[in-house]
Amino acid sequence: MTNCPACNAPLETPVACGACGAVHAVPEIATPFEILGLEPNFALDERDLRRRLTRFSRLVHPDYFAAAPPDVRERAERNSARLNAAFEILADPVRRADWFVGHLGGPAEDAERSMPKPFLLEVLEWNEVLEEARAASKPDPRVEALAADLADRRATSLATITKRLDPLPPRGSEALTAVRRELNAVRYLDRALHTIEALRLAHAERR
Amino acid sequence: MGYVELNVLNNATPLPETPLALGIDLGTTNSLAAIWRDGRPTVLRPEGRSGLVPSVIHFPEHGAAIVGREARDHAVADPRNTLFSIKRFMGRGLADVAQELATLPYAATQNERGGILLEARGRRSSPEELSALILRKVHEIAGVALGEIAPKKCVITVPAYFDDAQRQATRDAARIAGLDVLRIVNEPTAASLAYGLDQRDKGNVAVFDLGGGTFDVTILSIEDGVFRVLATNGDTHLGGDDFDQRLAELARKDLGSQHGEEFTRDPAFQQAARQAAEQAKVELTNHPEAEMHLMVPHKRIAWRRRVSRTEFEALTADLVERTLDSCRRALSDAKLTASQIDEVVMVGGSTRMPVVRRSVAKFFGRVPHTELNPDEVVALGAAVQAQILVGGRRDMLLLDVTPLSLGIETMGGAISKIIERNSTIPCEATEGFTTYADDQTGVDLNIVQGEREMAKDCRSLGRFQLKGIPPMPAGMARVAVRFHIDADGLLVVSAKEQSTGVTARIEVQPMHGLTDAEVEGMLKSGYANAVDDFAARRAADLKIEIGTMVRATEKNLNAGRAGLDKESIRDLEEALALAKAATATDDVPTLQSARDQFERAALPLAALLMNNVAQKALMGRELGDV
Repeated sequence: MTNCPACNAPLETPVACGACGAVHAVPEIATPFEILGLEPNFALDERDLRRRLTRFSRLVHPDYFAAAPPDVRERAERNSARLNAAFEILADPVRRADWFVGHLGGPAEDAERSMPKPFLLEVLEWNEVLEEARAASKPDPRVEALAADLADRRATSLATITKRLDPLPPRGSEALTAVRRELNAVRYLDRALHTIEALRLAHAERR
Repeated sequence: MGYVELNVLNNATPLPETPLALGIDLGTTNSLAAIWRDGRPTVLRPEGRSGLVPSVIHFPEHGAAIVGREARDHAVADPRNTLFSIKRFMGRGLADVAQELATLPYAATQNERGGILLEARGRRSSPEELSALILRKVHEIAGVALGEIAPKKCVITVPAYFDDAQRQATRDAARIAGLDVLRIVNEPTAASLAYGLDQRDKGNVAVFDLGGGTFDVTILSIEDGVFRVLATNGDTHLGGDDFDQRLAELARKDLGSQHGEEFTRDPAFQQAARQAAEQAKVELTNHPEAEMHLMVPHKRIAWRRRVSRTEFEALTADLVERTLDSCRRALSDAKLTASQIDEVVMVGGSTRMPVVRRSVAKFFGRVPHTELNPDEVVALGAAVQAQILVGGRRDMLLLDVTPLSLGIETMGGAISKIIERNSTIPCEATEGFTTYADDQTGVDLNIVQGEREMAKDCRSLGRFQLKGIPPMPAGMARVAVRFHIDADGLLVVSAKEQSTGVTARIEVQPMHGLTDAEVEGMLKSGYANAVDDFAARRAADLKIEIGTMVRATEKNLNAGRAGLDKESIRDLEEALALAKAATATDDVPTLQSARDQFERAALPLAALLMNNVAQKALMGRELGDV
């Protein structure tokens, strides 16, 4: 933690000083954790995170700088955007895990594409069910069963990811490759769950 | 009530400290301004008038454009030269709105970029210029209500589901009107501010906003004074106008079969059908049955037909369902169910329709809030937001979202998403680009908004040309492009070549909207006129005001004579003569001082009459009532 260049009070976030209100230029390389004033840990308290977003937004939200000089207004606008972007990465465990894999030098999303064959066969099966459900005029009972199954598997994947990332593995660890694979599986699950939600909405609309 | 006229005389109360910013609701049907005063938002209405300005412009044969109530009166007699529903065309191309144009009595063409131009009296105007005329009128009326020139600083509301082009067009309209826009705010979000929902410590709120031409639903969570929008959905081309059209269709069918299809395209018929439909719709809000009647005098046609509320509701059931579809999508995005919504707020004149209230109550399983006038709640909320922006309040924090996903067209016409819909704004994302040829110094980007998979199905924000990349071998340049959606929901793009640190230039060619140079041009040409216009209008308003005061005084002077001392009577008679004489000039300072002197001189009479009225009122009542 550093101190405010304007008033020397300790800074909770690099975006602005809670004591004197000065809005600071944030280095491009600042991480989402730094911006929200947190130690980089995979486990985090969601309520605390939301409160930080609110507390820091009150320091930099553009609504409070409409009458400020243009450079200060610009900085507030910028910092507010970075604060929101950082929050969205941290608030979602999948995006948070993805960020850690990249940050710790793990494989990129498209560098670790291989999925086990049995898994891919399963994906084909879901797709078949969803394809048929889309064509059907009535809601297909298999869809809700599939949704429950996919949600379970997603929870299991997230538990595995959490185990691998909490505590954080060293840079370049094999664990990161395993997390990347798990994240890729979550992407397949989310795509199917997204399709199911679209089907639900479409059925509600067709009536 | 007997003392209404006297309010005019009572105008001399000292003005509160100068308010700093207006909240303006620029609506499809009506527009309105409000301001923060005495610790709360207040609608600005001149004495004895409504503050609502019909969003209608009439171009007379001679002289300047007429805006508002008087313009609306010309709609039937001169439909081709009376423009309305202009908001529907903001940020749109002619091709986007061809279907709607078919039902409108006025003509439209396009500019060289396909942007729409509306035609009246041989003059072609962009929706931005027309909206600027409406904004000026709203500003002028606000000035009459305030008794001084209204502040130029303002907050303007837009439908939450407005995209970048529609927001940009609104901002440009305000610039052309000479206003200084502090913020573009989403209508449903503004409405939630007006309802004072910050008083509750925690909860989820749904705002259902069905206006004249647009529909929004916004889901917010409120906690400790923080309004956090979770999701928004809607349709910028669904509103009360569409309900009217279903009724107008009855006349079109009937008369089409009797007098031929050609007749139903007659602008006079279209306008008459539109008005008959609107009247019937309003009547059906309070009555189970209404009669539609219309006349087209130059064709000697008179038509009437009874419509029941049940019939009307059957004709419009699909429109109501479309609003509920949006509610389902918004809830799905917010990851909430209808039963998790603690409060439902109704906004927009179209939520007066019983079928809408009933359907929304059933959907959310609770009775929606309708305490505030649905026509005023958005302007009131905008005034609250204006007060936050001028620094008057820091207890509330508003976190709004961008309604549509932002993406870039990639090879093959697919989209790479950069910012997801419902992201809190301001927000930003950075994407890396490189060159594919040696010494390539530019990159063209097609940036789109929308939820579809292919770029052609989304709305293009225009061509963004990245220029000034230093010459390098192919694939060596690393251009970081930053996409920033600001607190107004508008996209700002900037770029930097990272290996050299050179800032690349971005040139934007808006899809349909005005270029910066065009706005500047309109601003310059219009500005001088605006000053003269303002003086002329101010003079006209002062004359009206003086006239009202003179009539009220002459009517009451004899009755009040006995109760006033000689000096007061002499002062008043002098001021009366002076004021009458002043109405012969057009000089604003002369009129102003005559009015002010008259107002002061009339105070004793006003006080006396108020007293009498109050006594009479008291005598008429039982003692227990008082």
